[in-house]
Amino acid sequence: MTNSVSETKKIEGLDDRYLLFSIDGAYYGLPLAMALEILTIQHITRLPCVSPYIKGIINLRGKVIPVLDVRAKLGIPECGYDSKTCIIVIDLHDMYIGLIVDMVSEVLTVSQDQIIPPPRNSASYISSVTQLEDKLVLNLDCEAFFQNDLEQNRI
Amino acid sequence: MSNDDYEMESMLEIFNHETEEMLEQLDNILLESERAKSITEENINSIFRITHTIKGSAAMMNLHSISSLAHSVEDVFYILRENPTKLSLVFSSIFDLVFQASDFFRKELEGLQSGEYSEGDPTEIIKRLEQQADIIKGEDSSDTSVGSGAPQKSPQPSHEPAGDGDAAKITVFFENDCGMENIRAFMLLNQVHPYCEELSSIPSDPENDSSLSEEIIKSGFTIIFKPTESLDDVVKIIESSLNVKSYEILQNRQTEDTSPASCPQAAEADEHSVKGVAAEAVGSQSKPETQSVLTKGVKQNLISVNQNKLDHLMDLVGEIVTAESMVARNPDLKGLRLDSFTKSIRELRKLTDELQDIVMSIRMVPLQGTFYKMDRIVRDMCKKMDKKAELITEGGDTEVDKTINDAIVDPLMHMIRNSMDHAIEAPEERIALGKPEVGQITLSAKNTGGEISITLSDDGRGLDCEKLLGKAKANGLLTKPEGSYTEKEIFNLILLPGFSTNTDVTEFSGRGVGMDVVKKNIEQVGGTISISSEKGAGTTFIIKIPLTLAIVDGMNIAVGDSTFTLPITAIRQSFKISDESEIIHNTDGSEMIVLRGECFPIIRLRDLYSIESGVEDVMDGIIIQVDHGNSGYCIFADELIGEYQVVVKPFPIFLNKYDLKNRGLSGCSVLGDGSISLIIDVNNLKTD
Repeated sequence: MTNSVSETKKIEGLDDRYLLFSIDGAYYGLPLAMALEILTIQHITRLPCVSPYIKGIINLRGKVIPVLDVRAKLGIPECGYDSKTCIIVIDLHDMYIGLIVDMVSEVLTVSQDQIIPPPRNSASYISSVTQLEDKLVLNLDCEAFFQNDLEQNRI
Repeated sequence: MSNDDYEMESMLEIFNHETEEMLEQLDNILLESERAKSITEENINSIFRITHTIKGSAAMMNLHSISSLAHSVEDVFYILRENPTKLSLVFSSIFDLVFQASDFFRKELEGLQSGEYSEGDPTEIIKRLEQQADIIKGEDSSDTSVGSGAPQKSPQPSHEPAGDGDAAKITVFFENDCGMENIRAFMLLNQVHPYCEELSSIPSDPENDSSLSEEIIKSGFTIIFKPTESLDDVVKIIESSLNVKSYEILQNRQTEDTSPASCPQAAEADEHSVKGVAAEAVGSQSKPETQSVLTKGVKQNLISVNQNKLDHLMDLVGEIVTAESMVARNPDLKGLRLDSFTKSIRELRKLTDELQDIVMSIRMVPLQGTFYKMDRIVRDMCKKMDKKAELITEGGDTEVDKTINDAIVDPLMHMIRNSMDHAIEAPEERIALGKPEVGQITLSAKNTGGEISITLSDDGRGLDCEKLLGKAKANGLLTKPEGSYTEKEIFNLILLPGFSTNTDVTEFSGRGVGMDVVKKNIEQVGGTISISSEKGAGTTFIIKIPLTLAIVDGMNIAVGDSTFTLPITAIRQSFKISDESEIIHNTDGSEMIVLRGECFPIIRLRDLYSIESGVEDVMDGIIIQVDHGNSGYCIFADELIGEYQVVVKPFPIFLNKYDLKNRGLSGCSVLGDGSISLIIDVNNLKTD
């Protein structure tokens, strides 16, 4: 069932660490403090009447968590899930959300001088770019990324 | 309230809780008696006991306004008890006054709870109560008998400790500066009372005279008693009492000789110092009764629990239920013969069922309490507005979750006020209209499988469509041409914010709260409100609120690769169709089926939720007939999987925006194998 590869809790000093995942060959980074858990792909219960990128809900030890496909959310054509496909469970304002990504690559400690501001015309959900020796990592601003999901939420 | 804030706080909580309960009881007795136009002796005694207890505990909490008012109510009922025939003289005014007193108590309690307590001033009510007392007494030729009779009774015979060898004597010293020593002594007496016979104390009747505190501080508080069981019981109680610094056990018969002497003395000292003679008589007379009340309290053993803890407990029980079915229906067990295992599982199932029932019942409260409150409002408004109306309640024993109960009190109160204010006509008008003089408001509740339905109807004026439309128009609330509004839509206009703009603020309605607030409050707990009305004949409001039954018995059904759960209570029957001609095809593509002469629409979950896989041929799947309001409809699914107990989990908040509730899905649940099923809300699946 739930096969957790690693579990992280919010610990001080996680600020400069990022969880890197790839979508369609590009690398994205998430603040590690936000990530709760990484799961291998599992059966997702489909929900009717929701946006196509929301794939459904999963059961994480009794907690029901919505899962959405980052590929579809980014507007990249979907491809089938395989053994590398992972679900990253993040905590956004005490809401748990599962993100389906192609692959989780590594956890990286990034020093401030490696981070550069995003290109001017980039999407609002890219908060910054990390420059590594062999690749560029787009750091996701989850708040902005889920803005259109959250704004219509009635509390 | 200076010394021990923490202790005081929890005591305050208990005080609030207990007093609230007693006030509710008091209101019930009063309403009942007023309707019956007489008070039974038993009820007088109950009122007397209640006020006495409130007085005692309020005095201990240092709440003088409450205790003094309770005291004067108690006085009146003491006199009434002695002269039951005089009741008719003061009948109506006494009820008004006691209701006022009970309102005063409530207001004080609310103040205490909100933390911004400022003591109210009860002198006005007290004065009027005293007047009533005088009226009763004034008619009494043996006026003085109350006064003179009392002292004769007051040195209670029980205070004479019998010369029995078992008699024990304990002197208790309270902690320095703990305050209110006399009341604490009185509480202590009450606490030990169930464990002893022939209880007496030096000084006696400490609760009536705060000047005795000094004496208690100086020489301690001595109780003389014969333990019913063992001395240890009593000692334990004293040890566990609040603020007790030390105690001495003097099990000595010689010392007893002094006690009978000092007892009456102390009692006499009391008599002179207390304000009214009648009051003194009340104090000493009532003592055995208060004790019996408090004994009851001990037996009830109330405990107030943080609701979050209950929620957590509920979640845990849910997990256990799920885990249990994981074990019982474990795929590893397939095909094995497991006699003893099955037996054990059955035992476990029984226990978890019981556990679940208890946890649920902890959170459930009957609506009766809320209904009584409404009764009270109708009564008050009748008096104030010179209208005649009665509230008929049905189904007060329907239990709802505490949060729901709390959430509907205000809306109901507002709606009843509206009914009284706007709907029920004045008596003359009613007679002229050929209606019964006394208006009728019916408040009923019932549990209709997964939902609680509360109906409030009156036989008043009814809603006037033209007036409503006119008003809505004037307030700029119309969104389409006037003529195209259906009756139902017009009624719903009153639920819009900005509709209720009554400028004349009366005491009851027009507090700036409109029906829109009612609607909002009800929606907050996931409920709906609907209105039907007939001009001249009355209006009916129906509030429907989902029970937060977190665990439901459900039938799991499969559609393609999705699993759905239907609450068992909603299912009428399920059957297979053998002949396709039974299905009637409508021109709009919908399907219907005739069952026992009635026509039911068929909803295909597969199409409704656009599920890609799943049975298409009606003959291959299964039809499930479900109840919906007065009729019902049929659901078409692939197959029945089986009956399960499922724990209802709400959809993640993240998905709120999609409003799945209105799409016929009330939540989801984790099944034994870890997969998730979607719970169908029968009432919202079909849109009318």
